[in-house]
Amino acid sequence: MLVGVDIGGTFTDLVLSDGGQLKIHKLLSTPANPAEAMLLGLAQITPGGLEGLTQVAHGSTVATNAILERRGAKTALLMTAGFRDVLFIGRQNRPQLYALHPQLPPPLIPRSLCYDVPERLDYRGEVLLPLNLAALDAILDDLAAQQVEAVAVCFLYSFINPEHEQQVRARILERGLLPAWQVALSSEVLPEFREYERASTVALEASVRPVMARYIHRLRQALPARCGLRIMKSDGGVMSADSITEHAVQTALSGPAAGVIGAFQVAKLAGYDRVITLDMGGTSTDVALCPGETTFAPEGLIDGLPVRVRLLDIETIGAGGGSLARVDAGGALRVGPESAGALPGPIVYGRGGQHITVSDASAILGRLDADHFLGGSLRLDVDAALRALAALAEKTGLEVIETARGVIEVANASIERAVRRVSIARGHDPRDFTLVAFGGAGPLHACEVAQRLGMARVLVPRHPGVLCALGLLLADVRVEKSLPVLATASRGLVARLRATQAELLAAGRSALRAEAIPDAAMHFRVLLDMRYVGQAYELTIPFEGDVVANFHQAHHAAYGYALEARPVEIVNMRMQATGTMPRPALESRLPVAAAATPAFLGDKPTPEGGTLALYDREKLLPGMHFHGEALVFQLDATTYLPAGWQAHVDGYYNLVLEPT
Amino acid sequence: MTVDAISLEVFKNLFIGVAETMGVTLQRASFSPNIRERLDFSCAVFDAAGRMVAQAAHIPVHLGSMPASVEYALRSFERLNQGDVVVLNDPYRGGTHLPDITMVSPVIAGGEVVFYVATRAHHADVGGMSPGSLPLSTELYQEGLIIPPVLLRLSGWMNEGVLHLITANSRNPEERLGDLEAQLAAHRSGEERLLDMLARYGVPPTLAHAEALLAYALRMTEAVIADIPDGTYTCTDALEGDGQREMEIPIRVAVTVQGSRMHVDFAGSAPQVAGNVNAVLAIVRSAAWYCVRLLAAEDVPVNHGCFVPVTVEAPAGSVVNPYFPAAVAVGNTETGQRVVDVVLGALAQALPDKIPAASQGSMNNVTIGGQQRGRAYVYYETIGGGHGASPAGEGLSGRHSHMTNTRNTPVEALEYTFPLRVWQYALRDGSGGEGRERGGDGIVREYEFLSKATLTLNTERRLRRPGGLHGGGPGQPGLNRLLRQGKEVLVGGKYTTTMQPGERLVIKTPGGGGWGRPE
Repeated sequence: MLVGVDIGGTFTDLVLSDGGQLKIHKLLSTPANPAEAMLLGLAQITPGGLEGLTQVAHGSTVATNAILERRGAKTALLMTAGFRDVLFIGRQNRPQLYALHPQLPPPLIPRSLCYDVPERLDYRGEVLLPLNLAALDAILDDLAAQQVEAVAVCFLYSFINPEHEQQVRARILERGLLPAWQVALSSEVLPEFREYERASTVALEASVRPVMARYIHRLRQALPARCGLRIMKSDGGVMSADSITEHAVQTALSGPAAGVIGAFQVAKLAGYDRVITLDMGGTSTDVALCPGETTFAPEGLIDGLPVRVRLLDIETIGAGGGSLARVDAGGALRVGPESAGALPGPIVYGRGGQHITVSDASAILGRLDADHFLGGSLRLDVDAALRALAALAEKTGLEVIETARGVIEVANASIERAVRRVSIARGHDPRDFTLVAFGGAGPLHACEVAQRLGMARVLVPRHPGVLCALGLLLADVRVEKSLPVLATASRGLVARLRATQAELLAAGRSALRAEAIPDAAMHFRVLLDMRYVGQAYELTIPFEGDVVANFHQAHHAAYGYALEARPVEIVNMRMQATGTMPRPALESRLPVAAAATPAFLGDKPTPEGGTLALYDREKLLPGMHFHGEALVFQLDATTYLPAGWQAHVDGYYNLVLEPT
Repeated sequence: MTVDAISLEVFKNLFIGVAETMGVTLQRASFSPNIRERLDFSCAVFDAAGRMVAQAAHIPVHLGSMPASVEYALRSFERLNQGDVVVLNDPYRGGTHLPDITMVSPVIAGGEVVFYVATRAHHADVGGMSPGSLPLSTELYQEGLIIPPVLLRLSGWMNEGVLHLITANSRNPEERLGDLEAQLAAHRSGEERLLDMLARYGVPPTLAHAEALLAYALRMTEAVIADIPDGTYTCTDALEGDGQREMEIPIRVAVTVQGSRMHVDFAGSAPQVAGNVNAVLAIVRSAAWYCVRLLAAEDVPVNHGCFVPVTVEAPAGSVVNPYFPAAVAVGNTETGQRVVDVVLGALAQALPDKIPAASQGSMNNVTIGGQQRGRAYVYYETIGGGHGASPAGEGLSGRHSHMTNTRNTPVEALEYTFPLRVWQYALRDGSGGEGRERGGDGIVREYEFLSKATLTLNTERRLRRPGGLHGGGPGQPGLNRLLRQGKEVLVGGKYTTTMQPGERLVIKTPGGGGWGRPE
């Protein structure tokens, strides 16, 4: 039995696959100790006991929350002498351009725990000043006295010559100060140039390792010994819990990753492999482009701190169901980024919300239905929302209903801008893609967003509320290794890299074997990060054929020009090893064209003068079809089908929505 | 499609999106660390009348000075056609200082120009007396190649002659070529995005919304000014020297607030000086507008509408509005900062509980050039310092303030590219002014020269300290020191010399002023 477990702020979702049969379970989260709900859920979903479990895949926010709340381990940063303030100076710019009183996020490590270590390499990795062991010992005395729990080491040019960093770790071990894994070396965590980003990443890594290790230890004890445990990383791959402890920072931005994997895999199974995922929740919306595969970004930010790890290229915007609407001093209607959050939440929830949110606007337009919202368990106070909206409408000078539509439109416009950023800005036309909507509010907005972008299809998966848990079940094991090259591309260099490639592949193979992946399920890709000599940003191209010619071509495609006379530099060679998992079969049956009458619940008038047909998602079977304007209810999401759109249910019970 | 509260917000996002896309393209495709790492550039969209519609927020000093470039480009050419790109850098014809090369190109729909896009990037070298083109000059001709508005691209055909002329006048022609190409790439991406928008929404609705956005920013700016008590507020501060000699060069401002209008008058400022600190009016306007923008609590889109309620006047022939061909190399960076100091100083009298104490008041310009493996190289950087404290809290330490927000070049990128070694890059403890809220600390940066090179320093606040407010103490002044032949030599704020291998430069940047009497 395989289980995917996603722990959210409100619910913990589990999806179990047993010989191809899927079982879904949802329970309330236990934020104080997230593992509690997970273990309880596992017990509930496996009536025969946990012994039958072979693999649990899990998305963890433990590292993310530890960073956001600055509750990581007490960590010291050891820098090359002269550079101990690197985390404080950053890139020297202020985060807000126009602010009377610009502010920085609180530091991860207090300045008193940042140390200058006498040592220095030059840019070729040659030793200018040897590591001063006496000075190091004095610093280590101080670390012992301060009872530091973790150490991050970031020396200049350690990505070329890691010896000094390794000597520091050796000395810490020799003195029995900390175990090896509580010392994070920048040459291992991120062997790349740019000292600030590297220091920030290794500092984050060191500070979350102990937190992650404690968490994993607790989980491990509760799970049967033979049950594997895998954790999702920010790149949408999973890794065994034992290895993740030394790559803890790679989970820090994994929050939205499982949903993207789930949405992409479900759509692919249904026959759509070029998709844009739209995950709209209460406070934010995540959008990602998958042109036949998932795409990646080299760096992210967490609470203003750079983390240079490979992550799924996800654009997040502060517009969700709970985002607040207001009219600003210039008379424009604004939505977000301020949010009503879970409490007080939208006005219609009747939990003390006072300000109009996107969800309130949806309720006023009749798109949330009191009888079917969360299975009818929560009443909606639409009248209260109407009263608040009247005040807002007065400021816009528009009718109340027009204003409600406006709130939705402004939210949709910012989602549209996010979709453009991940597609058009990267050279892809969104009209060639299917929009896969999930999250509590995604299916409510998807058709209108698609319409704005000229997209011809929206797919709402069968279980939009547990797509993250499903994604965990479907995620591949991913291991990536990179080698800094930093040399001008030449025939000789390429020949040398061909030789080194074998080493990288061998390392990838053994890493996958350690993850219990059979050889037949292993896939490898070797890529080169390349740029013109003098540029700072690389384009990544496959290590195949004439790489220099391919680079010129890729540069032309990306920027509209190529400088063929200029030398080209190879910055890194990277190997991506993927272990594909046996995919659980999703329930399917042959679609039989039929009217959706058995799922029809009735009609209701809209305040705009239309009529909404209401359908029960549970009763929609493959092949059934119907027209908009309609609403489809299911426990954890409502789908809105505008007039001029039609829907049919595919063989996997997905809703496929298309303009007529 | 009519303009309403909803469509206004939608179009605001669309226009800003165009400028942002241009910025991303320019950064990714560029070559010099100055553009790709420090992000010393700006991108903007203008309407057919040359009014700015949107700007990607990069650097405040470009804020009000980009419109002058478009104005002069249009003044020089009766009509721009599809595929034309105008290039210019002449400070007296739409530029700021010579290293800032600006391009302007039209976006044409239905045979008519409907928008212009513009980019401005600080190029590391455009010739002149010393590498980096920020020399201790006494006339514009010494500062580098002067480019009046000329066509770099004509109906889509590159004017190779102009391109060669520009690159041939630079100490690092290959880098110039790459950066100019990157600027052109940004224009292409901006033009495409605008055409896409016009095709989707139609020309008249798009133009109507551009117009509405100007009115929107105007209303927001007027609301900001209306919140300032009416009256005339004056303030005087001074620059410390013009690169020829140390002397006080006063800058005086009288800010008059009347209802929702503001007039900023620099009458009484020093006459133009022989050296390189003269600032053309476009820069002074930028600085004044920046101060008003700071006061807005809301996120006001930066466009022509912001400029309308604020009028700026400076006597012709003064250090803040010089006659051609006065030297202007660092009027942009140093004088611009001092203008902010006096305008905020004046506003502090009107809004005592809001305005912060003075920040470091310099950009600490360091330009270095020499030979490396038989080729010329040029390196330019600016260094952050202490921010002034405010009633809301301590000032930031070690960051850029006010008119600039460029990033640093990572030491590991710098040393890989140039024959320099950085030995220290740290906060300068204790340099922020005392106060109930302390001023931010400056930075200490120490460089070793690995080969013979020309060094030029253009720095301020080495003598006159950044002031505190309401009983807060001033920040420490900055300090420039050379270590040569085993001796420490203190040098002036503006200084040029030849450095020998093994010699070192230490720069300590000023701290910010404190706010309130220390408890």
